[in-house]
Amino acid sequence: MLVVIWSLFPLYWGLSTSLMSSGAADSLPVHYYPHPLYLSNYGQLLNLQHANLGTLPYQLRQSLLNSTIESVGTTVLTVFVAIFAAYAFARLEFRFKRIILVTTIATLLLPAYATLLPLYKLMTSWNLVNTYLGIILTNTSGFLPLAIWILYNYFQGLPKELEEAAFIDGARPLEALARVILPLSLPGIAAAAAVTFLFSWSQFLFPLILTTDLRSEPATVVIAALYGPRLVAFSLMAAAGMLAIAVPAALALLLNRYIVSGLTAGATK
Amino acid sequence: MRSQRQRLAYILLAPLALFIGALTLYPTAVTTVEAFFREYSLVNNHNFVGLKNFHDAFSTPAIRQSFVNTGIYVLSGTVLSVVLGIAFALLLRQRSRWRAPLLALVVLPWALPPVVEALLWSRIYDPTFGPLNGVLKSIGLISHNQVWLGSNRWEALVLIELVQVWQTTPLCVLLILAALQLIPSELYEAGAVDGASAWHGFRYITLPLLRPGITIAMVAAITASLNIFDQPYILTGDASASASVGVQTYLVSFQNLNFGEGYALSLIMTLATAAISLLVLRLVYRRVEF
Repeated sequence: MLVVIWSLFPLYWGLSTSLMSSGAADSLPVHYYPHPLYLSNYGQLLNLQHANLGTLPYQLRQSLLNSTIESVGTTVLTVFVAIFAAYAFARLEFRFKRIILVTTIATLLLPAYATLLPLYKLMTSWNLVNTYLGIILTNTSGFLPLAIWILYNYFQGLPKELEEAAFIDGARPLEALARVILPLSLPGIAAAAAVTFLFSWSQFLFPLILTTDLRSEPATVVIAALYGPRLVAFSLMAAAGMLAIAVPAALALLLNRYIVSGLTAGATK
Repeated sequence: MRSQRQRLAYILLAPLALFIGALTLYPTAVTTVEAFFREYSLVNNHNFVGLKNFHDAFSTPAIRQSFVNTGIYVLSGTVLSVVLGIAFALLLRQRSRWRAPLLALVVLPWALPPVVEALLWSRIYDPTFGPLNGVLKSIGLISHNQVWLGSNRWEALVLIELVQVWQTTPLCVLLILAALQLIPSELYEAGAVDGASAWHGFRYITLPLLRPGITIAMVAAITASLNIFDQPYILTGDASASASVGVQTYLVSFQNLNFGEGYALSLIMTLATAAISLLVLRLVYRRVEF
């Protein structure tokens, strides 16, 4: 019970405040639940009703679209690259295998700051600032090691006999990967994809330096810029926050099983 | 056949090598070199300057303070995340039909953007409308409303870190729970036969066998708190009183445009993260056999 209160209370409080008018939210004594239910914050932000919010609804909508494109793009690219790499590590023998694997996994210990300034310069010189591609490439380089680790552990858990049967039928390694391993690995792929998507959606520091306008600013950057000067009423801010967490929250609840297995991949060795 | 497979392996790894090589290893090398070469000026000066960038950074009081702040973030964050991680994992240990939905709710804070989480917590700490003051007043711990993120620096640091702890703890719970489930129940039965109390069971069976899980949880909590950025950036902006080294790195580089010092701070963060993680792995990790 305590665990649930601890985990959910801040979310409940934000949701509750987002369902109050700014007058009700900023009045004493403190309201512990919204009464009556006030949906206008969402109505205004989603442009369903007239509001004097200037470009705010547009900014929020565009940034949510940007977050979605960047997160989906990162997830597809990361999982695609990770499947081939993880297969090579799990099933093929080649020189320097151990060193390449260890180096890849060790980059998990590098903080964002190790690459922050050089990546900013690289993206500037490649004209990738303010583009989806710039964010997607940066994200992918950061999240590949974990996706590979998850899939590598998953592939290793599959019995080799299944592929050997395919090899006897004359299949080549890539055919065995596509026809035997991938269909069996959907839970592992779901784990890698879900974790990568959530990481992408949460990104803040890199988008903060790699985006300057709504062509590619994700929701995290727009929300931070709105909240910074404290000009918007908090109940409206809370509604914007709720819209920004709706997608990852739904994903986390739906794919929970895969996220748990992804985050604990190899942790029990 | 064999060399064919080797060639296939290298082809399959080529995209990975490109990403890790060009966008991770090369930039890390650039950071390492530039910290000693880049000079602060409007023209792109490129001379060997030795430790000058480090010296300049450390002679700025706000940056020195950010190192102390980060130390507090790491200490409070690691202790709280790991203790809560162990406690919650023990609570969630019992298999029941509630465990899967409970786990889904517990993981939620980990899955959401820290920027929005900090925004939500800022309201909890709000001096006038925040529930923290309300709750503390109603149980009699304080008599009048406190300004939580303002006056007392140490208090502000721990409260900012608490927002991160809220986000990191689910990961610690999962890692420790995974280790917990490997401990065979026969060990506890044997302990009970020998008359061991629940506390003894925890102290002499659970805790030692949890070491691998606790180690990974500690590394996760340390790397998160050492590199903390979103929470102080949102909660206190560029106020230096609670800025982390991460926030200062950002400010120095992108507000003062002093990339030399930015590289120096980045390198310190990188080395500190790697060194402390490896140290924890060495000191805390023990291979356990069942």
